Amino acid sequence: MSEHVVETRGLSKSYGDFKALDDLSIYVDRGQILGFIGPNGAGKTTTIKILVGLSRPTSGSAFISGVNCSENASKIKRLVGYMPDRFGSYDNMRVHEYLDFFGAIFGINRRERRKRIADVMELTETTYMQDKFVESLSHGMQQRVGIARTLLHNPEVLILDEPANGLDPKARIDMRQLLLRLAAEGKTLIVTSHILPELARICDTVAIVSGGKTRAFGPLDEVMRSLCPLRSYEVQLVVPEQMGQAETILRKILRESEPLTVSTAERVLRFPTVRSEDELAKVLQGLVAENILISQFREVASDLEDAFLSISAPGMSKA
Amino acid sequence: MSFLENPILGRELFSRLRSPKTFMAIVSVAVLTSLLVLLRWPTDATVDLVSQGALQVFRPVAFALAIALMMLIPAFPATALVSERRRGTLALMLNSPTTPWQIYIGKFSGNVVLAFVILSVSLPALAACYAMGGISVVDHLGPLMLVLLGMAIQYTAVGLWVSSIVNTSDAGLRWTYAAVLALAVLSIGPTIFVGKLSGVKSLLAHWATAVSPISALQSITGSQAQASEIGISTAWPDFLGASLLITILLSVITVMRLDPRRLERARPAGKVIGRTKPTNRYAGWLRRVSYLVDPQRAKSNIPWWLNPVMVKEFRTRKFGRLHWLIRLISVSGVFSLLLTVVAATGTVSWGVERIAPTMVLLQVALLLLLGPCLGANLIASEVESGGWELLRASPISPLRIMIGKLMSTVWTLLLMLLATLPGYIVMGYIQPAMSGQVGNVVISLVIAVFMVTTMSACISAFCRTTAVATATSYAVLLSLFAGTLLIWVARGKPFGPLFVERALLLNPAAAALAEMKTPGFEQYRLTPDGWYLGIEISVFCLVVLALRIWQMTRPK
Repeated sequence: MSEHVVETRGLSKSYGDFKALDDLSIYVDRGQILGFIGPNGAGKTTTIKILVGLSRPTSGSAFISGVNCSENASKIKRLVGYMPDRFGSYDNMRVHEYLDFFGAIFGINRRERRKRIADVMELTETTYMQDKFVESLSHGMQQRVGIARTLLHNPEVLILDEPANGLDPKARIDMRQLLLRLAAEGKTLIVTSHILPELARICDTVAIVSGGKTRAFGPLDEVMRSLCPLRSYEVQLVVPEQMGQAETILRKILRESEPLTVSTAERVLRFPTVRSEDELAKVLQGLVAENILISQFREVASDLEDAFLSISAPGMSKA
Repeated sequence: MSFLENPILGRELFSRLRSPKTFMAIVSVAVLTSLLVLLRWPTDATVDLVSQGALQVFRPVAFALAIALMMLIPAFPATALVSERRRGTLALMLNSPTTPWQIYIGKFSGNVVLAFVILSVSLPALAACYAMGGISVVDHLGPLMLVLLGMAIQYTAVGLWVSSIVNTSDAGLRWTYAAVLALAVLSIGPTIFVGKLSGVKSLLAHWATAVSPISALQSITGSQAQASEIGISTAWPDFLGASLLITILLSVITVMRLDPRRLERARPAGKVIGRTKPTNRYAGWLRRVSYLVDPQRAKSNIPWWLNPVMVKEFRTRKFGRLHWLIRLISVSGVFSLLLTVVAATGTVSWGVERIAPTMVLLQVALLLLLGPCLGANLIASEVESGGWELLRASPISPLRIMIGKLMSTVWTLLLMLLATLPGYIVMGYIQPAMSGQVGNVVISLVIAVFMVTTMSACISAFCRTTAVATATSYAVLLSLFAGTLLIWVARGKPFGPLFVERALLLNPAAAALAEMKTPGFEQYRLTPDGWYLGIEISVFCLVVLALRIWQMTRPK
């Protein structure tokens, strides 16, 4: 039996000659949020469909809480709460009736269902819209109702396909907080999104796929380090007149592979580097020794977008 | 911008002509008309100058063309505006320099040109009728083409008008076919039911009859005797005048509706006050008295003994809520009782023998109006809305999905049939000898309910969009129910009694009519063989549907 809550081992899926997934191996532990990233057609939805029992892999296997996703689809459906990228709205149906219907098809008894609906509506802050027609809700409201629906049967794992898609900034912040709250409650989440800074703020682990293959997988900072080994540093001066002197000193210390850029207007000098912390301390020491007045010496964090762009650059998907 | 430069006309026409569905429709009309001519072609090869032989060929071809137009022409305009509105392209067009009239004319003429194309493929069949002798261009072919053209413009205008009002494509199809049915068939009702009238009433009844092409076609095809037997006699120019009037009127209304401010509708947010104590308890009491159930009361959770899919189907239908069902059933019940009472009190000269078949026909019309759209919605709309993916991701079994979906349609249709039972009971009371027949009629109609439901659900399971499923269901079921009656119309020549009986076996409505000893149906023994065939068709469709749903719920 697998130790991880979600695990895929050498997962592959082909449609004729086209290989949608090629030997995908990832895992997620309890209470963690996995950010599942990749360009369009990378194989994200195919993986999700295999995980929720809607598709069978050509080879390899996927497990959720030790249950094989393709061999025991009915059990998987109770373990997973799945929110597809399409909401699945019904006309003339109120939010409460909508949730009641999905509770009923998951076999939750009437009394328990009433309580569960009240609980999930409270958790997702949708109680005030329970008497509104589902199709009349805004996209952000529908997304929250969608999450309420996935939580109805109290699944261990939530798989959310683009939950932040089309949301306004306020709704995105709400969604982020909701996902973090769910993770804190012990739910395991797999979230796909194109809004990478959003994912970077909530994910413990990321998996970057492209052309059906895993390009990077692991804790967020490790992935960042492996995909963006060059760390970007900037030095901000107090006195603009010292910019020329600081530039001369830095050019003497830095190597050719560490190109320096100067922004006089900002009083900032920037350079990418692979130096260790000790070596960087020496660079700082060199500037201070020449009486350069420094207000900031700091690392500019690379974001998930940089990592994503580095693997989805032309040619990478065919690699 | 000249008429031919209208970009909407070009787009509408070419997109339709390129469509495989249009191609199929055109080929079907060509095959149907040619087949009818072949079947009715005399074997003795003599020129018939008194026209009876030619008319026998011409008559079914004319009626078949009219039915084909009635079935094909409304389908396109019924979805033309609503689908553009839902996609957001109508707003784009209205925000361009194109005027609402140009949009309307583009869509209208695109459909009328399509009608021309459909009619043009029937020309060889009509030419063959002409070649037989006795058929003239001035008295027969010309008027027929004008009447068919009148039908095309009238039904196009109706379809576009309905399409400008409704919110979904399938509602557009449903209401357009209902309007066409009302204009073509129900409009002759006042004259038939109320009989000979005088003064203003007579004039109104005459113009109501003029709206329908039936009388005009009968006058052209030389069937005036049958027409006057049921009390309708309208010349074809009257129909053309009425068609033109309706077309102009509806066109003006539709163009007025093509206003961005009118199209901007707030989505209904819903209103439930039942969760808290009503502020006005008299209002709640009044609602309960008016509707029997309070429509503004919050619905309780689905109990364990009800199939959740069935409950969902009822709740998502606009008229599926209990208060609407009660209204629908009450109207059916009151209408059937009224018909029977009218017959019993002798307001019209018709007896129970004539009222009973009328009731059967009205029930079948209602069944054919509601059944295909309810059935066609079952799977296709779920797939279209994305709800099917959610059902697949749930542990509910395919069998339970199928039962829930089918029962939601079967219950609605059966309840409507049950509502008309009081009428039959009164009939049985007036003529006790009819009790057995009434029982057989009810069995036939129940089988019709199952056939309509399973066939349309089966079609729905193979379609990706609701509009296609609805149009296909209507086409298939109307072909089955009306097509077999067309064969019955052509009884004697070319179809022999055995062939007609076999064709009628497919139609449970014909079995009901035969049971009621309707004139023209007395000689056919359609029960119980027709019942068995109906059950077999239903079971076959059920098996196909079950397999399809099982396949659709399996991991891919």
